Amino acid sequence: MCAAPMTTESAPAALGPRTGTLATRPARRRRLSVRAAPYLLIAPTVLVIAAVMAYPLGTLVSLSLQHYGLRELLAHQGTWVALENYRAIVADSLFWQVVGRSVLFTGAGVAISMVLGTLLALLMERVSGPVRLLLSGGLIFVWATPVVVAIDIWQWMFDYEFGVGNWLLSNAHVANLRHYNWFENPLQGFAIITALVVWGALPFLAITLYAGLAQVPRELVEAAECDGAGPWHIFWQVTAPIIRPLFLILLSLSTIWDFQVFNQVWIMLNSRPSSGYYLMGVYSYVESFRVDQFGSGAAIAVVMVLVLLVATFVYIRQMAQTGELDR
Amino acid sequence: MRTQHLARAAAVLALALAGVACGTGGSSSSSSTQSGTLTVWLMNGSAPPSVVDGVNADFKTQHPNVKVNVQIQQWSDVTTKLDTAFAGSTPPDVVELGNTLVAKYGAAGALADVSGRKSGYQNSGTWLQSLTDSCVVSGKLSCVPYYAGSRAIVYRKDMFASAGIAAPPASMAELMADGQKLMAANSTDADYSALYFPGKYWYAALPFIWDFGGDIATRSGSQWKGTLDSSGSQQGLTTLATMVAKLSRADKTGDEAKQDQAFVQGHIAMLIANGWEIGVITDPKTGDPTLKDKLGVFPIPSHNAGQVAPVFLGGSDLGIAAKSKNQDLANDWVKLLANTKFQTQMATVGQVIPNTTTLLDLNKDQPLIGTFAQAAKNSRFVPNSPNWANVESANVLPDMLVSIFSAKASVPQATASASTQVAQILNAKS
Repeated sequence: MCAAPMTTESAPAALGPRTGTLATRPARRRRLSVRAAPYLLIAPTVLVIAAVMAYPLGTLVSLSLQHYGLRELLAHQGTWVALENYRAIVADSLFWQVVGRSVLFTGAGVAISMVLGTLLALLMERVSGPVRLLLSGGLIFVWATPVVVAIDIWQWMFDYEFGVGNWLLSNAHVANLRHYNWFENPLQGFAIITALVVWGALPFLAITLYAGLAQVPRELVEAAECDGAGPWHIFWQVTAPIIRPLFLILLSLSTIWDFQVFNQVWIMLNSRPSSGYYLMGVYSYVESFRVDQFGSGAAIAVVMVLVLLVATFVYIRQMAQTGELDR
Repeated sequence: MRTQHLARAAAVLALALAGVACGTGGSSSSSSTQSGTLTVWLMNGSAPPSVVDGVNADFKTQHPNVKVNVQIQQWSDVTTKLDTAFAGSTPPDVVELGNTLVAKYGAAGALADVSGRKSGYQNSGTWLQSLTDSCVVSGKLSCVPYYAGSRAIVYRKDMFASAGIAAPPASMAELMADGQKLMAANSTDADYSALYFPGKYWYAALPFIWDFGGDIATRSGSQWKGTLDSSGSQQGLTTLATMVAKLSRADKTGDEAKQDQAFVQGHIAMLIANGWEIGVITDPKTGDPTLKDKLGVFPIPSHNAGQVAPVFLGGSDLGIAAKSKNQDLANDWVKLLANTKFQTQMATVGQVIPNTTTLLDLNKDQPLIGTFAQAAKNSRFVPNSPNWANVESANVLPDMLVSIFSAKASVPQATASASTQVAQILNAKS
């Protein structure tokens, strides 16, 4: 068994049909229908997505090109201003701060949650049955907690006056946090918010990655062990390449989720966040529903869509390339 | 495998779009007014349930076949709900609006003009002036005054006595001196606040600004001028900042949402509070009933000894949605809640200030609640502009206070920037 050469590409290659051989078949009509089949299969999905997504997105874009205040909202009639809303937000220094903050926040959130999620998945793979049950039970509980309830609990835990988190850290002599306000300094406030977001994201990531790890053929790991590879090497050279597609999809999902974080900031700060806490979603909401400038709020949201599209485009390309290798 | 890639790509794309589309939306409201149903939105904590039941019972005798659906809304995100509700084709028929919000919705045309119905409301000749002013938008009566609330200082008589203070302070200087006595007498308590003042509590900062002749903004012609940086405003804020630094251990960046719960813990001697907060403090569930006999109330003193500082008159008005299909029914319901019978109950049961001066003395002999009604006699209001709600939304005043109290900016710096911001928002074309 140890004599077998270690090839990471062999496993995925064994999966799935070899589309290349189909092209050699003689019947022309058959070839056409085979070519059309994938598109036919995906058509219902695309249609539903178009129906559900195209309309609101179209409305959003058209809203972003209008002056749309409360009066216009009630009359259902805005004034066309072309790119004026975009010109205004681009010229606004606060907007660029918010974009930068959102990107940083997303980067930190995604990195931390992916690393912790992977570690948890690896742990779940190694522990005994009952412990694994306990661990996944705990994760499911976190997952099952409604977001708003979870945020309220976290808010109380780190409350200035009544926070049990502050009490615990003070009594454990970590630091004197009696009457300590975590949200005075946005950097510390975002540390709590990031912790909350990561905490909420971990169950899905850990359980999905654990499922992914189960796909890694046992014999490949054993072969690597025979070749004298350490755990670090095995993870990077054997496990990681096999679950790479899964990593990519989780990365893109995490990016999307973390980039549009709203509740965690909004509820944590009692619906009145100061501008130091604006992420793009929050800023867009404040512009729309607090300042009643729905046009400029929509413009911010459109920019958000574009940023996400650029970010996810990279992932999609990566995924497509991974697919090329799979053949 | 190509289909898989396409599907995966489409899925990721769809999720990206879904994520953003959801991120910008807020709560949705679904209020369907069927024929024969009157929908009423009241705010959390405004009318006691017994008053609402009473109004509904009287309404039932007038309109036996109409069902009244009273929904209680929360203050925190009410503007979002109101925006979406008014934009829809079936908004609630009757809405309670905070008096600082009326100008915005009135100017946008969301509220029915009730000028012609004014004489039909009981006591409309003696409505509280400040509430009536809040209802008048571009010369038209857009709502009916509902009730008012003003703030005064709630204090622990037992703590005053044990610190050797015989009577409540009669000037700001005495307030400061008494506060320091209390701090000295309780110096072993690291949680102690003689005057508990959370940093974002701008309603409680206004009396200090007004008392020294300052204001938020003044109007000359059609233009607003920010006056938070005037010398009066700066003097008031400097006085307050000194008090906060020496007498308060409240969160300098927090708001007043949990101040009653904090007061009940027993490490606070004085609190700037609304009349109804007495009820929260002494409630067996949310507070401590044994505090009842230990509480006293005095108006926020002026810096001129013997006088009282002007306070912000908060309150609510009742509006009828312009798009309501039940204008007459809505008006009948509003007439009931605004009449003498139910306003009397609002004062005695709800312990708020009723909408008419003729009922102001109802609670005169109540030692605690009476003081709040007296404090309301010297009351002021925020700039009456449709854009005022945007000043609140932009957190201009809380942010200014926080930066002063946490010494991030000096009083002149913080007030100059806040003043510019206020003027900018108030003068913006909506």
